[in-house]
Amino acid sequence: MREKRLGWALVLGAVVFLTLLPRFLSSSMLMVFFSGFLWLVLAENYDILGGFLGYIHLAQGTFFGVGAYTATLLLKLPAIQSTGPFAIPIVSLAAILLTGLFAAAISTPLFRLRGLYFAVATLVLVFLLRSLVMNLPSLTGGTYGAFIPRQYYQSTLVSYYYGLVLAFISVGINYYLSQNKRGLCFIAIREDEKVAGSLGLNATRQKTIAYILSSLPSGAAGIIFALNSGFIDTLIALGIERSLLPPLMALLGGTGLVFGPVLGVIILRLMDVVLFHYVHLPVPSMVLFGIVLMLVALFIPGGLLKSHWAQKITKGWAVKTKGKQKEI
Amino acid sequence: MALVLQLLVAGVSLGGIYALFSFSFSLVISTTMVLNIAHGVFVVWGAGIAAVLLLRLKLSPFFAVPMVVLFFVGFGFLFYWGIARTLMKRGSHFLLSGSILATYGLALAMESGLGTAWMTFVDASPTFLLPFTLPSLKILGTSLSGNRLVILCLVVLMILGFYLFLRKTFLGRSARAMAQSIDGFLIIGLNPDRTASLVVILAVVVAALAGILYILAIPLNPFEGLPLTLKALTVIILAGVESLPGILAASVLLGLAEVIGSYFLGSVWAPVIGYGILFLVLLIRPTGLFGKGIA
Repeated sequence: MREKRLGWALVLGAVVFLTLLPRFLSSSMLMVFFSGFLWLVLAENYDILGGFLGYIHLAQGTFFGVGAYTATLLLKLPAIQSTGPFAIPIVSLAAILLTGLFAAAISTPLFRLRGLYFAVATLVLVFLLRSLVMNLPSLTGGTYGAFIPRQYYQSTLVSYYYGLVLAFISVGINYYLSQNKRGLCFIAIREDEKVAGSLGLNATRQKTIAYILSSLPSGAAGIIFALNSGFIDTLIALGIERSLLPPLMALLGGTGLVFGPVLGVIILRLMDVVLFHYVHLPVPSMVLFGIVLMLVALFIPGGLLKSHWAQKITKGWAVKTKGKQKEI
Repeated sequence: MALVLQLLVAGVSLGGIYALFSFSFSLVISTTMVLNIAHGVFVVWGAGIAAVLLLRLKLSPFFAVPMVVLFFVGFGFLFYWGIARTLMKRGSHFLLSGSILATYGLALAMESGLGTAWMTFVDASPTFLLPFTLPSLKILGTSLSGNRLVILCLVVLMILGFYLFLRKTFLGRSARAMAQSIDGFLIIGLNPDRTASLVVILAVVVAALAGILYILAIPLNPFEGLPLTLKALTVIILAGVESLPGILAASVLLGLAEVIGSYFLGSVWAPVIGYGILFLVLLIRPTGLFGKGIA
């Protein structure tokens, strides 16, 4: 109980700290924090599938892309622009809805697959979607990308708060799942899908719910990102990094733990900012992240928070993930 | 008629190259159970190194190709002892998830490393292509690209070599034994490290050679490694891991589909056709196609 109260106090402290923080930050640091929030959303969302449900999902970035592209393309329509101040709320709602529909539509065929096949199919999905967007320039702008009309740009300060709220919602969803029957259902599916099914759990339904749940905040992150940058193209919105880094962040921190992805995001963002913005390391960031992913997958498959010393410290709020992993 | 013949040669030679690296890819899966997402990147690296040696350093092919082979023998050795072996010690779930993530990381690191190095030091718009044009051949009044025909012959020779290697040599037989049953393999006293490391080295070298053949006919972009891996996966999922004829047939089918599709729809749609086929196959017949040893 004492640990729990301490945890809540820490969370409250983080909220206050992050709310007041923009007063003391330069605009470039504000941008760093803003993109960090978006990564946190993607990583936490990935972890619903990768950590709780036990499905390696290599296409988290597609939700981000669908959200960003839908918002951008809708904002160009005159009919939407004529609604004046309601344009952004309408578009956001529509884009989130569409991301959810997209997730619902592809979850049915995807979840006929398991393990390796699921991972491969999601990897293909990234490339398939990107090729489609590139090959339909009349709709999406193709390789030239798409612009948002200038009047809808959001300043980085406003975006910072949007990002902060969304990040808290995402961490909140994972926390809720870790405390709740629904999350227990997901973990049961991870541990053994057949046994879970034989206990009367509708696995297909649960997996679809998990998939849609993990898609919505990611899609919203895409909208916020598009509104802030004003321009998106296939590399920015649907690039391979958007799908690669969330699993890496979650794995590095510890998948299946609410605060694992948070730790992973902090470490990777720190590395990114320090090494590439201050030290100007003369190698592309993907080389470094690729090697880190490789080393993490080879040597700390459970993540940092699951190592023994970390378990002791975080015992109070970590989801217990002991027991045998399911065989696939 | 002329068009049909030309498309056929283009499709079959492309399919042959796919067969080469798909088969080496499947050899790694069936012996070590490591799904190597970086396999396509090895193809690209083979092509890139060959392009540097042949075009920038102007070495003779008879010197350059052995150098590429030597490099990849060393690389395959490191890959086996550094990555594959660490993963092979795990149980099947962690082996699979670990191998996907670890080799995915390796693939991205190698891909962007080569791409950026190439763009900084060699050429700002990166494509690998060996501009050797062989005289074209006239058959039935149709002129067929000499490069494609040479590729076709070399691919046929290498596939034949593969077949004989697996049937007739001790190493090939022990690789098949390892794929069939690792327990049986251990009981009769074979050394898994020896067999698996040699097979992995062979697979890596063949992937690099496939890369050299590829850029004899088709320009290759340094960032095309992962798409190439996906092609190998398409083939493997269509055909299963262990059958050489099946892999050959599936590769030729994929090559033909891409060549014919891009002829009628435009070349930007060729990758979509490949991904579409893979996605559909995964969704329609996801299980049971991988053969023994992986699922």
